[in-house]
Amino acid sequence: MKFWTVRLLSVAAAFAFAFAMQGLGSVIGDDYAYRVINVSGIFITLAVSLNLINGITGQFSIGHAAFYQVGAYVTGYMTLKMFDPGGMHPTLWLIMMMFVGAVAAGLLGLVVGLPSLRLRGDYLAIVTLGFNEIIRIISTNIPEVGGAAGFNIKPKIVEPWLIWMLAVICIALSRNLLKNAHGLTFWAVREDEVASSAMGVNNTRIKVVAFVVGSALAGAAGVLYGHFEGFLDPKVFGMQQSFIILTMVVLGGTGSITGSALAAVFLTVLPEYLRDLKDPTGNELALNGGGIIGVFAASILMIWAVKRMKTMFPVKGRNRSLAEVGAHLVPWALVPLLNAVLASTPLAANTYRVSELRMVFFALVLILVMQLRPSGVFGHHEFSWNWLKSLFSRFRKEQTA
Amino acid sequence: MSQHVLEVKNATIRFGGLTAVNNVSFQLNKGDLFGLIGPNGAGKTTCFNLITGVYKPTEGTILFQGSSIGGLRPHHIAKRGISRTFQNIRLFNSLSVVENVMIGGQLRHKTAMASAFFHLPSAIKETAELRAKAMDLLEVMDLADSANSRSIDLPYGKQRRLEIARAMATQPDLILLDEPAAGMNPQEKEELMRAVRRIRDEFEKTVLLIEHDMRFVMNLCERIVVLDRGEEIAAGPPEAIRNDPKVIEAYLGEAV
Repeated sequence: MKFWTVRLLSVAAAFAFAFAMQGLGSVIGDDYAYRVINVSGIFITLAVSLNLINGITGQFSIGHAAFYQVGAYVTGYMTLKMFDPGGMHPTLWLIMMMFVGAVAAGLLGLVVGLPSLRLRGDYLAIVTLGFNEIIRIISTNIPEVGGAAGFNIKPKIVEPWLIWMLAVICIALSRNLLKNAHGLTFWAVREDEVASSAMGVNNTRIKVVAFVVGSALAGAAGVLYGHFEGFLDPKVFGMQQSFIILTMVVLGGTGSITGSALAAVFLTVLPEYLRDLKDPTGNELALNGGGIIGVFAASILMIWAVKRMKTMFPVKGRNRSLAEVGAHLVPWALVPLLNAVLASTPLAANTYRVSELRMVFFALVLILVMQLRPSGVFGHHEFSWNWLKSLFSRFRKEQTA
Repeated sequence: MSQHVLEVKNATIRFGGLTAVNNVSFQLNKGDLFGLIGPNGAGKTTCFNLITGVYKPTEGTILFQGSSIGGLRPHHIAKRGISRTFQNIRLFNSLSVVENVMIGGQLRHKTAMASAFFHLPSAIKETAELRAKAMDLLEVMDLADSANSRSIDLPYGKQRRLEIARAMATQPDLILLDEPAAGMNPQEKEELMRAVRRIRDEFEKTVLLIEHDMRFVMNLCERIVVLDRGEEIAAGPPEAIRNDPKVIEAYLGEAV
């Protein structure tokens, strides 16, 4: 009885969260910012579903955007041709389309995964890479879905709460799996396929399940993206998109659900945030040559300093924490310093707006994370209330000590 | 006619021009403590790989409890009731000790995968059962106090014992141990010997083991097969093997 009470409460909490995110739109009032927030919700689903394939089961898929695109295009076409606004409530139709998109992407996942997952090694990476291109090229060459000019989905069905509901469902499915004994077999496949098969684990079956479930969730995310935006550009679904999703998983910590979800939000918001970064006087933030040298010098110095602090303060504790925070922050003083000092030299002849350099900074963030936290920001860890409690009690102990 | 637990009949495997195992035959009866010895490269581990389905025999048959298993895939063979450990330890490194054993136990439990995705009561109950069973096995192998440490952090001797516990968790009828005592000190070997005897006597498993330590094999095993360069050169009880001139020449060194 207790079980069903808890389950009912968590479902209610999920709905409450989803509708709160829906309501956020009118609180923010800024359409553009609200759109970025919702797109980051879609990327949570994409990253967490890829994490199921890449992180938890250890299969290297680099064509996740293909399944995302299939979901968006298949259901977009169905909405265009078959949706009758008088016949069915749009929300109901969208929920139905989510299932259709998930099934379509899942079936394709089965077709792609079944032959390539029977083999050990890098075959899946090669096949998914090719599949990604095939889907993109097919979509640019079918005039019925707009071809290279892009695909207009009419009518748009904007239901942000479904985006967040899907993200919650995706996280819940992954987390549930890992809480149960079945989830252990997925880890086992990642760790050692020879040993897992000797323990009676059907490796192919586990890999295919992970791949199909991951693909289906990406398909459902595509459905929501297509109906949310109302316009699909096939170029958006290329290899670059797949790599960005993969980057989210790796950056967050391969295998960590929490990490993937947070990295998805961070990497969606960061490029948009850098787009119009202002300095305190309200001008667009710009750097001269000296400032750019400062950015790179600070990055290198920071990597060096953080590693040095770990050896200088081998014992974890207050001093080590302070030193590490310092090592992360102090080097960045170089940026305004060099920007000002070198302002009189020829280096300052040109200035560059931060918005133009945003992809450079994006790459820089990735390099820094790979240098300082090679196993991703979260490593193998997950967020849990117990972890939060232990952190809090440790903090209190340090305060009293 | 009594049925053998395992019957290897004229098993042969060739890798290109190399015949790794040539025409090897032996039988295991229920409750046997059987040793497989021979110098390095004699084909002992290849024999294990044939029995557990990693390789498919080029010629010959392997019968397990009367039915042929030659060429079945490893997870099917595990399901029939053969489990093994590995010469170069293959644990699931980043998982905890108890989780390693639970993966072994997973084989005999049958809730659908879907119930795990939805965290249904049946899956929760099964996970708890598997954990309890795994803890029992860790108790037997004297690993219970390190149940929650990562398996890669265990010292070498404990990792070997953990591999045995994991293999036991699949509830096999026949358990294959590939050099279980390698790298252990004399005291650890003594404890291991007791544990292996316990597996046979208390849990009623049939045990087939590869070992280089002669004292260990001679004290533990009741029957022994000796391989040399893929060929079977002797078979019998330890006393006979110890005095067999062919074995002494091939393995123990020139006669003294």
